[in-house]
Amino acid sequence: MNILKRLKYSIDRMIAVVVLLGFSPTVFAEVEKETGYNMPRDVSEEGHRITWLIEITMWFLVVLFILMIIWMAIAMFKHGENHEAQYDHGDAKKQVAIALTISTVIFVIVDGNLYVNAMIDLDEVFWNFKDIDCDPKEDETCKTVKIEINAHQWAWDARYAGEDKVFNTPDDIVTLNDLYVPVGQPVYVQLGSTDVIHSFNLPNFRVKQDAVPGNITPLRFQAKKTGEFDIGCAEHCGAFHYKMKGKLTVLSVEDYKDWAQQASRSSAVAFNADDNADARWGWPWVRYSTSGQKLESEQSVTDADAKGGE
Amino acid sequence: MGIQAEYQDLQPVHHTPTKFFYKYLWSTDHKVIARQFLWGGLIFLALGGLQAMFIRWQWAFPGEPVPVLGEIFFGDSGGVITPGHYTSLFTSHGLIMIFWAITPLMIGAFGNLTIPLLIGARDMAFPRLNAASFWTWALSGVMVLTSFMVPYGTAAGGWTTYPPVSGNVGSPGWGQSLFVLALFTTGTATIMGAINYTTTTIRLRAPGMTWMRMPLTVWGQFLTAALNVLFVPVLAAAGILLLLDRWFGTSFYVAGALSGGAAGDPILFQHLFWIFGHPEVYILILPAWGFVGDFVSYFSRKPHYWYKGSVYSMTAVTILSAVVYGHHMYTTGMSPLLGKSFMLLTLIISVPAELLFLNWLHTMYHGSMRKTVPMLFALGTIFVFGSGGLTGLPLATISTDLYLHATMFVVGHFHLTMASAAFLGTFGAIYYWMPKLFGTLANERLAKWHFWFSFIGLNGVFIGQLISGYAGQPRRLYDPFQYAFTEHLLGINQITSYFAFFLAFGQIFFVINWFKCVFGKKGACPDNPWGVGTLEWTVSNPPPVYNFAEIPTVYRGPYELSNPEVKEVLGRDWLGQAEIWPPEPEAPFEQSESEASK
Repeated sequence: MNILKRLKYSIDRMIAVVVLLGFSPTVFAEVEKETGYNMPRDVSEEGHRITWLIEITMWFLVVLFILMIIWMAIAMFKHGENHEAQYDHGDAKKQVAIALTISTVIFVIVDGNLYVNAMIDLDEVFWNFKDIDCDPKEDETCKTVKIEINAHQWAWDARYAGEDKVFNTPDDIVTLNDLYVPVGQPVYVQLGSTDVIHSFNLPNFRVKQDAVPGNITPLRFQAKKTGEFDIGCAEHCGAFHYKMKGKLTVLSVEDYKDWAQQASRSSAVAFNADDNADARWGWPWVRYSTSGQKLESEQSVTDADAKGGE
Repeated sequence: MGIQAEYQDLQPVHHTPTKFFYKYLWSTDHKVIARQFLWGGLIFLALGGLQAMFIRWQWAFPGEPVPVLGEIFFGDSGGVITPGHYTSLFTSHGLIMIFWAITPLMIGAFGNLTIPLLIGARDMAFPRLNAASFWTWALSGVMVLTSFMVPYGTAAGGWTTYPPVSGNVGSPGWGQSLFVLALFTTGTATIMGAINYTTTTIRLRAPGMTWMRMPLTVWGQFLTAALNVLFVPVLAAAGILLLLDRWFGTSFYVAGALSGGAAGDPILFQHLFWIFGHPEVYILILPAWGFVGDFVSYFSRKPHYWYKGSVYSMTAVTILSAVVYGHHMYTTGMSPLLGKSFMLLTLIISVPAELLFLNWLHTMYHGSMRKTVPMLFALGTIFVFGSGGLTGLPLATISTDLYLHATMFVVGHFHLTMASAAFLGTFGAIYYWMPKLFGTLANERLAKWHFWFSFIGLNGVFIGQLISGYAGQPRRLYDPFQYAFTEHLLGINQITSYFAFFLAFGQIFFVINWFKCVFGKKGACPDNPWGVGTLEWTVSNPPPVYNFAEIPTVYRGPYELSNPEVKEVLGRDWLGQAEIWPPEPEAPFEQSESEASK
């Protein structure tokens, strides 16, 4: 990126921030484009773990690949037709030991690095839902933002618990292809699907998770920067799979609070108990044990609860 | 009765058929069936390749009418590929390439051709089953072609055919059903073939052809056949359940709002599919590993380095391939314990793969390399399999796969391993065994042009896909430039597409060569053009119906190359597997020797 571009980038961002602070948070600059062939900008708190692991592995692979090419080139050009072939079956103990050693060393370094780091990352973050699964109703310090997302051909429905912090009540915020999360707070998403399998894809946060009909699947991320980012679908879900695009807006903590309060109140006002049952999709929040096994639902919500609960 | 006579007695010489029907259609000769599979596979390869070009066109010039061919194939939309066309294209491209191109070419054609000839058998163990296998496969091919002509078009649920998108609601009409039925049918053909290959390899090896004297080609085919026998039935089961869902309203795979309350599970299909599907990728590469293992040794004029190690590695990969399938499903929300176990097992597979690689490299090293056409293809296979295999590591690991899963990186990775490596391996084999197939050697210059176009084209296409996938481009998008994080990738996609068109253009050299070999005037072809000691080169080109007038006795492995003693006595650097060594002194020789000693 040259200086001019960098300058434009920062000015854009400054304007964006001004706009964000001064006006309604929904008025914001276009979703920022990416450049180059690197992974897209990482705007998440934990995505650097994945970025680092992919990048270092790529370096290992490049080195191994170059070694292979050099080896092949020597064999091709130096040990060509005019070179006398060695009569060697290569099964002496020493030769076998060398082959075993080389492959073991590569395995321990490259695969070992991948395995150990992946295990740490999964246990600490990506497959750890216990640590962030607090209940904001009981726990004042709980900062986790919980969102239920229901995928269908070809859009993402999102549901927030709203001001009463309970899912499936009239003040739930429900949006279409439009997600808001606060910066610096863990976001805990549970995904479902109405029709076919979709996959909730956030490349700028380095995560994706399938949405499977008949099942609830979890995903977590945490934004480090404000801005707008694309949500993609990463599982073939029919002819218009490519049009299944959502927008994720990361707001400052205050802006998010304002938005959530406002949205939740207007939801409560607009709530109509006689609505089509489809409008009241949603599920009781699913709890996971530390080993990731599904435990039970936090609450059991029936249609009657949703209608009457205020 | 000696053991030789006993073997001969067990494999009587079939009479040579004279009627057209028995000679070319219902032939039980494994070499004819190999040629049938070769023709069939090449026709479907051309079809699948054409579909790939349409997909590449769409990614380089989204929504623009396809020049020339557009009017023929997409006339209803004025030559433009619509989203509906596109989903059908990538779905049937994958299925056709795997089940109707690579499988018949590598396994149907070369399994059939090589196993009996290389182990010293007169035919397959079950020749009629062999013929039935081809015609069952051909029937399934007709089903596939028919599926393009029914209302709502052919299958469009992705090659993986995941329900519910492949169910009634996602893919209505007969196209998807026909395709699943065709998969079941071709699966039946594959099982027939695989039973034949395993039985033949176990029962019909010539006297002295021990397991550890078999060429790696036979090992590759044998292990592939073993995997086919074990795992194709799982695919067949998955397909039948899907058809029950589609036709009779069962709900094995249906859940959510579509199920009307029935408790099926779409993930069940994924488990069944990948229990088959992961061994399948090794099914498609093991034969190529066999060819490469043989060719690097033959054309480096050097024994295969640590042959037993290669055999053990291939066997280890075969066994491990059955227990790693879960790495295709990391993002489905699988149990963390299961996911982590699959990650470890998948990473372990890289140990035997590395050993195999090292053996190939060691074999070449300090050799005397002849850069013949099959050798170029073998080197190309090693190159593309190297880049493809290495890029598999971040995909095998769960946390890195969270980013890379379902991107073009995956597409580039598996096309380098099981498409490019299989492609180059197969064509190497076609050029190598052309004398056995059609009694002539292919034109070397045309073949080398074909190699360089293919090699550069394949690498350009799939390394291009690795790059765009690394940058985050998801696979299977009709217009991949919808997102802010993919918009800038149009350029690299166009370059990739130009490589694809280059690759397609280069196939013309093969087509010319092929027709010259099959229908042209056959030039003189030496009996053993490559100077190799395996059994198939002890018989004429092409071999007689019964292969071996007398079943040979085998004394050694296939890689007795550049043995200094043999060189000194025979003046050549190879020794046949069935040659007696040291040579029994002939009478005059003995005389002169005894005279000399006097």
